[in-house]
This record gives sequence, structure tokens and C-alpha cells, in this order.
Amino acid sequence: MKEILSIRGLSKSYKNVTAIQNLNLEISEGQAYGILGPNGSGKTTTLSIVTGIIHQDEGSFNWFGKHPHANQRKKIGSLIETPHFYPYLNLIKNLQIICDIKGISYKDIYRVLESARLAERRKSRFSTLSLGMKQRLGIAAALLGDPSVLVLDEPTNGLDPEGIAEVREIVIQQVEQGKTLILASHILSEVEKICSHVAILKKGELLANGPVKELLAEDEIIEISCDRNEELKGKLEGSELVNEIETENGLLVLTLNGNTTPADINAFAFSNELVIHHMLSRKRSLESQFLELVKED
Amino acid sequence: MRRLLHIEQVKLLNYNPFRITLGIYFIAFTLGLLIYPAVDKEIPVISLSDLFRFPDVWMFLTWVTEPYNVLLALIIIMITTKEFNNHTFKTQLIFGLSRTELLIQKLLLIVVLAVFATLLLGLTSLTLGLIYSYKITFKIAMENTLILSRYLISSFAYMTMGLLIALLIKNTALSLLTFLAMRVFVDPVLFLVLREYEVKWYLPFRTTTRLTPVPNLIEIFQKKVNSSETIDETALDLLPKGLPIWLNTSLALLYTGLAIYFSYRLIQRRRFT
Repeated sequence: MKEILSIRGLSKSYKNVTAIQNLNLEISEGQAYGILGPNGSGKTTTLSIVTGIIHQDEGSFNWFGKHPHANQRKKIGSLIETPHFYPYLNLIKNLQIICDIKGISYKDIYRVLESARLAERRKSRFSTLSLGMKQRLGIAAALLGDPSVLVLDEPTNGLDPEGIAEVREIVIQQVEQGKTLILASHILSEVEKICSHVAILKKGELLANGPVKELLAEDEIIEISCDRNEELKGKLEGSELVNEIETENGLLVLTLNGNTTPADINAFAFSNELVIHHMLSRKRSLESQFLELVKED
Repeated sequence: MRRLLHIEQVKLLNYNPFRITLGIYFIAFTLGLLIYPAVDKEIPVISLSDLFRFPDVWMFLTWVTEPYNVLLALIIIMITTKEFNNHTFKTQLIFGLSRTELLIQKLLLIVVLAVFATLLLGLTSLTLGLIYSYKITFKIAMENTLILSRYLISSFAYMTMGLLIALLIKNTALSLLTFLAMRVFVDPVLFLVLREYEVKWYLPFRTTTRLTPVPNLIEIFQKKVNSSETIDETALDLLPKGLPIWLNTSLALLYTGLAIYFSYRLIQRRRFT
């Protein structure tokens, strides 16, 4: 697959605070890449660097396999944090400026305003829009010229549930059209719904990275109970079948070792004369995976 | 270039403070020049309208309208700092303008405003010269017109200094105050402090102001009365002499170049968050 964005050893500090540290990431054409992390994990800093707003201290990145250049950004639709436009200009004039920058026809303005459901407000000043409308205008601006890559930083920030659903729908449509998406978000369900790949950041470091499905399938978790839970727990702890055992509401929650299957657990209990009367396979949600990864040491 | 200028045009022609300030500039400029001859008060021997005759009109109006360039610099400060306040430099960057283009955009605007101001001055001087001159020949009319090129440099220099201050400080009110303080307070005070030393002529604002020097009024009035009497030499001392024109112009250009260079460095380093 064609390389879209390649980040190598990227680092950035603000005085004594490390924003990102030795970040490496490869994003290929057609991928919907989520960047997840709690506040201060370096998501916005990463996207700000690759969109030219700030400079990195160390490391490098390439867009489309080439050294970064302003012209490459014309092929990218970006929304970094809150959208900022000229408050005294109406929506059309604001988007005309973006068209002039990108060197594209003004004809596209009506298409993107329609898709962001802002066509009726096209003659309103930017300053008169609600937060949700401003956010939608940011998305509309990012879609101008039908770019092959979208870089969106918290695109549903500050939106009401209806607004979130609308923006999400627009983004999903773009992904379905085969566009490459780089989406920074702290809303895990959003990443789960939209993205094919995910990178998890914590304090500027990359903790995990890969296809969402693989990350989800990394550990298999089952919950079981038998007539003598404590005895089974003790015996399992002495075995190599499980990585972790937790007790939750009278149930044993087992994180299985890579090769262990639920049938192995059943056979193990049976061989120890314990009868399992409840067994349920749980897929660990991205949220629990995420929370576990980013939890404080 | 045209694309960058068009972007500035869309931004500014719809920006009320810009339109108002430019309107004030235009009105103050033209009205001021119409009022000067109107308040012409005959004082013994000389008349103020003598200053509006060719070829002295070029020198006199250039000197009189030089402070209006400060207003143009204030416009540049206002629109540049607004880009920071509205975070629109960031928007332009992420959609594909380079940092260098951000600077070129503003420099192009400065060139346009400087040319506009110079043309306005040229047209006004020409009009007043045609109205008040007794004798008009092409040679007399065109004498001293080279001063317009120095006015153009002066206008450009003021605005680039304004741009540098705006990029450095980012805050509108603070930038405006700093610029005005430097022009109205710091430069005169430094000039006074350094009055014994030749270096006083090398101050950035001083070289810019001296591009359009005070006309030799005594000489003008002497021409008027066609007097054979010798002029009191001590009166001529009232006119500051300063550096030779070529050196003064070179210095003003050097300071302008430095202002552009430091603006470039600043814009390359800035975090546009």
C-alpha cells in the first residue's frame, strides 16, 4: 500500500514538559487511523507538527513519501482543534480564502456547505455561528477540493449528541469513499466505530499501535464460576494457562494465555474435580484496553 | 503573487476597522492638504501658498504628509495582530500556505499601500502645484519629484517596522502602543540624549523621518521676495542638517531589510496554535 504519512523519531517538548517522545508511525493509503490518548498525551502536538503549525525538536516525517512541503498540505483536509476563520466574513468568503490557498475552484464551496448542512447559513458571518456549526464549517473546509487525506483532531469536540452523529456520519462517508483518515480523539467508541487502525499515546509515547481488530483480539478474556471459586483461582494461579485472574461480582475473570482456549480451562477444572457452571467469553473492549494501557504506573 | 494579494483583498475589503482607518487616512490626507492653502494667512512678505507652487510643493507636501505613514503602519499592525487573535495564520498554514507566503502576503499588502500613499501624494501635489503656480513649465513642475521615491521608501519602511513589531508582540493594543511610543517618545528622547553625537542620525526612525526632510523654508521665502539681502545664517541653523541623502536613504533601506529579515525569522519560528 502507498505510504501516506511516515513519522520517524518525532519529539517535541514545551520547556520542561515532554509533549511527544520518539514517536514512530506509518500510515498507509486508505487506512482510517485513530490516535487515542488521554489529555496531554501528545495527540494534538503530533497533528500540529505534521500540519506545519509547529516545529518538532527532533525526528522527521514524510507526506506521500516526500519531505514535507506546504504544497502537500493542499492535498490534505485538516481540522486541528477548534476551527478558526475570519469572524467578520461570511461562510462563503471564508471558504473562498481556503479555495484560493488550495488553488481550487469556488464551485466546490456549495458542495461542502451542503454536506455540512450549512448551505442555508452561507451568508452568515462566522462569528454568528454556534459552536456546532463552527465545527461543521471546519469539516466543510477540510473537505474542500475533495482531498485524499483527512486529518481531524477531535472533530466532535463541543458538539451535542445530534451534532456528533452528523459529523461522524460525514467522516464515515469519507472513509467509505476510500480516503485516508487520521483522527485524534479521546472518544474511544468513536475511534472504534470509524477507524481500522489505532495508535495509543500516553505522555507522548506510543504504547500500542496496529489494526483495531488485532488490538481487540490480543487478549481473550473469559468469566467463569464454579462451586469453589477460591480453590479454582488458587489452582489456576499455579498454572500457566492464564496471565491474570480477577474477581468481579463472584465471578472469576481470566485473561487467557495466548495459546489457552476456554476448553483448556474447562478441562483443567474438571481434572481438579471442579465443575464450572458458568463460562462466558468476553471480548475486551477498546476502552478497557485503552484504560489499562494508559493507567498510571 | 496575485493569489496572495487576492486573499488579502478578500480579508481586508470586508474588514471594517481596515476600511475605517484607510478612510480616515484618505480624508485626513486630502482634507489636510486642501485646508492648508485655505488657512493661508498673509504674514509680512511671505504667504503659505508659496509652498504649494512648483517645484517646492513636492518637498513641502512630502514633509507635511510624512506623519500619515504612521497611520499606515498602524493599519499593518492591526491586521497582522488580528491574524494572531483570530488564529487565522494557523488556518492558512494548515490549508497549504507556507510560512514564507504568510510573510510575502503582508509585504505585498505593504507595497500596495505604499504605492497608494505615494500616488495619492503625487496626485495631490500635482493638483495643488497646478492651482497655485504662477509659471508652469514641465521642467519646473518635475523638479524635485524624485522626493516621491523617498516617500515611497519611507512609507514602506514605516509599515515593515510595524509588521515586525506586530509579529514580535502579537497583541494589538500592545503593538500599537509600542510602535507609537517608539515613534513619538523613544526616538525623540534618544535623539535628544545623543544630540552631541553623530550617531543620533543613525537611529532607525530618524533615518526614516529624514527621508522626507524639512524643506528649506527660508530659501523658499527668499526666492519669493527675490531679496538680495543676506539671510541670517543663524536662522539656517534651525534646520537640522543630518546625513547626506544617499547615506540616509541607504540606512533606511538597510533598516527596512533588517525588519523584513527579522520578520522572516520570527514567522519561521512561531507556533501558530
